[in-house]
Amino acid sequence: MNLNTKIKIIKKILFLFYIVLYLSSVIYAQDDIYLSLSVSDKRSNIAIENFNAISENDNIIKITKILQTIIEDDLVFSKYFNITQSVYENFSVSFEEKLVFLNNKGISALITAEVIDSNGNNLILDIKMFDVITGEIIWKHKYERKLENYRYMAHEASDEIVKKFTGEIGIARSKVAFVNDSTGFKEIYIVDYDGYNLCKLTKNKKINILPKWSPNGEQIIYTSYIYNNPDLFVLNIVKNKCDIVSKYQGLNVTGSFSPDGKKILLTLSRDKYPNLYLINMSGEIIHRMTNNSCIDTSPSFAPNGREVVFISDRPGYPQLYIMNIEGGNVKRIITNGPCDSPSWSPCGDKIVFTMRQSGGNYDLCIYDISTSKIMKLTNNQKNNENPSWSPDGRFIVFCSNRLGKGEIYIMAIDCSVIRKLTEISGTSYTPSWSPVLIE
Amino acid sequence: MKNFFLFVTVVGLLVFGSCSKRHSAKYSDGYFNAKNSNIHENKQLLKKSFSENNSLKVIYFGFDKSDLTTSSLKILKENVDYLTDNSNIKIILEGHTDDRGTTEYNLSLGQRRALKVKEYYVQLGIEPSRITAISYGKEKPVDLGNNELAWARNRRVETKSLI
Repeated sequence: MNLNTKIKIIKKILFLFYIVLYLSSVIYAQDDIYLSLSVSDKRSNIAIENFNAISENDNIIKITKILQTIIEDDLVFSKYFNITQSVYENFSVSFEEKLVFLNNKGISALITAEVIDSNGNNLILDIKMFDVITGEIIWKHKYERKLENYRYMAHEASDEIVKKFTGEIGIARSKVAFVNDSTGFKEIYIVDYDGYNLCKLTKNKKINILPKWSPNGEQIIYTSYIYNNPDLFVLNIVKNKCDIVSKYQGLNVTGSFSPDGKKILLTLSRDKYPNLYLINMSGEIIHRMTNNSCIDTSPSFAPNGREVVFISDRPGYPQLYIMNIEGGNVKRIITNGPCDSPSWSPCGDKIVFTMRQSGGNYDLCIYDISTSKIMKLTNNQKNNENPSWSPDGRFIVFCSNRLGKGEIYIMAIDCSVIRKLTEISGTSYTPSWSPVLIE
Repeated sequence: MKNFFLFVTVVGLLVFGSCSKRHSAKYSDGYFNAKNSNIHENKQLLKKSFSENNSLKVIYFGFDKSDLTTSSLKILKENVDYLTDNSNIKIILEGHTDDRGTTEYNLSLGQRRALKVKEYYVQLGIEPSRITAISYGKEKPVDLGNNELAWARNRRVETKSLI
């Protein structure tokens, strides 16, 4: 056999190897989804057995219980699951008998976990999910995190369980950025999506408003009056660094990151009437998107990066408009009242916005792009404003004064779940939901 | 075939590469990058704060309106007379709105109100370089009430002098 023939044979073998690798990854990916819940929109019944602390340490025993609660709360909130705590009629039953018992109750999977104290600094969550019918482990993972990051570790497991059942990653590791005035100044805060780990990001005792997350979750842009002018700042929360991005005299507000995170759409007034501009991350103007003496503001990129929804008061009151990224093909979305703060869903099919009602209050509405239908999400519960989508496009976070003062709420877009994000004094405004933050 | 190898390798790298992204959670007050942030386009604003000048009067607007009423024009004319007599004074026009509507829209509305006043001042002979127009939207109300009277007091443009 000469060298050329050998090379040809090796190439053929390698080619077959890659084909097998590719096909197996495709098959594995399909197999990876346990049940296609996202299609059926039904909840799956799963059981969670009490997590077992492999430690005598009281703190570890306490955290073990909390880990279980976090995962249960995440899974119930996801709307994909009903959780049954596996209470058996007889405690001395064998594992097989447990599975039969659960199967008879209509439960499809059982989750068990051991929590191990690793060197006193780290915590290990060894979690397994069993198919109730076959008794086989359908998913298992050993997570190890610093003790203080136990909430993140539980959310990590929740997100994987959701993925196992739906094919889409869960949203339990996302955060919400918002503005609060409890210090007497408007400062930017972030908090976990379940209301824990509240953290104040700005402490400059000025007006800081309108935070928006970058698509990769590393940066937050916001407008600050720190230099007595509404300038646009970018706060990198990974590098813990803050820079001024746009500082034209007058407005530099309400940015929307392009889906690639390289450009920002914002309103600049530049000593003239407020118009929309596209800038790069150094603050240089790429191009001007609108040019008139009306108010053009509140832009939000479509996930395809080619279209933008924004607000303009061209008809005499604020209305929703869609245009392409070059500023052309401008179309008005006709509604029954003044509209504001639109946000394009991450799935691309819907736009959520605020509409002023005849009674003077503001309600949240969703515009469905394919059917052009408008659906109301809130109904006369005082004012409901500034909606922002969850990373999976199934929930929104918004600001409402339904209980008196302005507070942040989260709701499912089918209106089935609503909860207050967190208890904090003062008034809270303008929430922005982060992408899933991978540590 | 080479392209296929390349494709598989690139896809592989992307898949595995994206899993290893780090996301530190050391949140604290972001410090300002001094190199970048100490130069503001409008140096006037950085100099000193602005003072309420009793000789310069405030004007008010209708809901979601930015046009100057007859009574507003009369007040602005008096302001112009004062500014003409005190030609050393540089001014800042602060546009404000009431609490209704969103933060973003009101910022633009406040800016438009301030600009309308600036245009009128310039029309009456004030040098544009003496005037800075900014908007606070609904962020700095003078009346925290939630009624027609409070809203009316908040929809305003203040003319302040820079010292």
